[in-house]
Amino acid sequence: MRREASAVRRFTRSKAGNVVYFLFLGVFGLFSVLPLIYCVTSSFKPLDEIMLFPPRLVVVARPTFENYLSLPNLLSNLKIPLSRYVSNSLFVSILTTALYVFISTMAAFVLAKGNLKGSKIIFMIIQFALLYTSYTLAVPQYLVFSNLKMIDTYAVYIFPYLASTMGVFLMKQYIDGYVPNALMEAAEIDGAGYFRIFFRIIIPIVKPCILTLTLFGFRDVWSAVPQGTIFSEQLKTLPQVMAQITSGGIARSGSAMAVTVIMMIPPILVYMISQSNVVEAMSSAGIKE
Amino acid sequence: MKKKKHAGVERLKSRYGLLFVAPFIVGLLLFFVFPLLSSVQYMFSNISFEPGNTVITWTGLENIKYVLFEDPYFINNVVKGFSTFAYSFPLILVVSLVMALILVQKFRGRILFRGISFMTVIIASGVVIEYVLRYQGSDITGAGVETSIMEDMIDVESILTVLGLPTQISGYFQVVLNSIMTVIWNSGIQTLLFISGLQAIPDQMYEVSKVEGATKWEEFWFVTFPMLSKILVLVSAFTVVELFTAKTDRVVSSAYTMMQSQNYHESTAMLWIYFLIVGVVIALLYIPFHKFCLKRWE
Repeated sequence: MRREASAVRRFTRSKAGNVVYFLFLGVFGLFSVLPLIYCVTSSFKPLDEIMLFPPRLVVVARPTFENYLSLPNLLSNLKIPLSRYVSNSLFVSILTTALYVFISTMAAFVLAKGNLKGSKIIFMIIQFALLYTSYTLAVPQYLVFSNLKMIDTYAVYIFPYLASTMGVFLMKQYIDGYVPNALMEAAEIDGAGYFRIFFRIIIPIVKPCILTLTLFGFRDVWSAVPQGTIFSEQLKTLPQVMAQITSGGIARSGSAMAVTVIMMIPPILVYMISQSNVVEAMSSAGIKE
Repeated sequence: MKKKKHAGVERLKSRYGLLFVAPFIVGLLLFFVFPLLSSVQYMFSNISFEPGNTVITWTGLENIKYVLFEDPYFINNVVKGFSTFAYSFPLILVVSLVMALILVQKFRGRILFRGISFMTVIIASGVVIEYVLRYQGSDITGAGVETSIMEDMIDVESILTVLGLPTQISGYFQVVLNSIMTVIWNSGIQTLLFISGLQAIPDQMYEVSKVEGATKWEEFWFVTFPMLSKILVLVSAFTVVELFTAKTDRVVSSAYTMMQSQNYHESTAMLWIYFLIVGVVIALLYIPFHKFCLKRWE
């Protein structure tokens, strides 16, 4: 309620101030949207029109689906149909995101509300891991994979994300901020067990955060390219194929645009489903430190 | 949750808690803690892959010596990384704060602009962002050229010719355009965090400042900015990490190339040294900020 009120306040500014603000918005919007529009329109252009000089942003003189239709043929030398890559991508992304969200929520619940010994240390490791890059860990992770006999399986896509610390961090902050202890105690007095508290009380309250994690998780997994751990062509996902196509040079630029557009669609769909909850969930990360 | 009387129940709960947290802990140990520790070991050793197993031999400070004194590019790359940081960091912070200040208000089209600013966050990851910002194209001669969609769209040279300006300066314009692009495409999450921080400021603060007769300018510096201090720290930390671990960072990309040519030990040492340097510099910047700003605002 307070949020709504604060959103309505102060919009009393001089005319000049408004002009400056909207100029800023305009530049920002232009730079964010133009590349996307350019991608989408270019993907419907025949090659000679992409190469047109000077390039046209919005107008497509002779729209064509050629770039999309030729994608399966471009990959024909790989012996694997495009649909296989798409289904691989969807399978890996959906499964990983679901597991990631569930595991993060469970862990965050215990770290926030449980009285587990060592949860302080675990949370410190999480905060440290947040500020860490994956490159340093690439080789040791490879060794872990190879010792667990996971090289060249779907596990390579799935497992590293299950320990992703961002999710636990956000979720813990959210639970700290939005789940009152009194509610848990009341449930306990009414005889609810651990599992019932988790599924009946925690999950409904943290739904906005769950949707946010779904969005970010899906985004990351969807575009992930494992380094040197996948060799079989039938296990590869769209981003890897996209890298192959975009490195194909100038004659492929239309198809490259087409794959880029295909790559953009699923995250945008997930965003549309979860959008109204995202800002709310992120705000809890800031309130409590 | 501090009830000592039901020790048995508490222990049972603690056991369930362990069950809940176990999958995450296993993952964390396997894919973060263990790799982290072994990467420290790699920093001081030589790794070679023989069929069937990995041979790790202790070599002391060899790798570190190599990176610091023999690698011809390292120091140069570090300087480049910091100079990119020096202009991108303040720009990203200011742009995202201004965006947040605008987007938090009510005006027609707000939803559209919020959607747009967030769209960059959704799309800006991995392959797509690399493609949008800088992709490996090739020119007519077939040689590989680094170019970006922005350069494709806005033909700086022809615009300059039309305006009658020397085309030699087109390079600078392209650098500026690309930088604007990079800043805008990298400030999505920051904007989001600032918006959430702004929404958390209680209304009473603004009412009081209005009653006291503060101007908008004073209101920003004495109410909004101090109230954002914690979010500011979070956003700064996030931006620092994002900038220094980006694939476009010179040190990271050169370490990555070394890794691909199987120089694992040297590349690990390089990344560790780089992150230590970054860590020290950030700490040096943070301590005065904490002392003079945060303390005073609290």
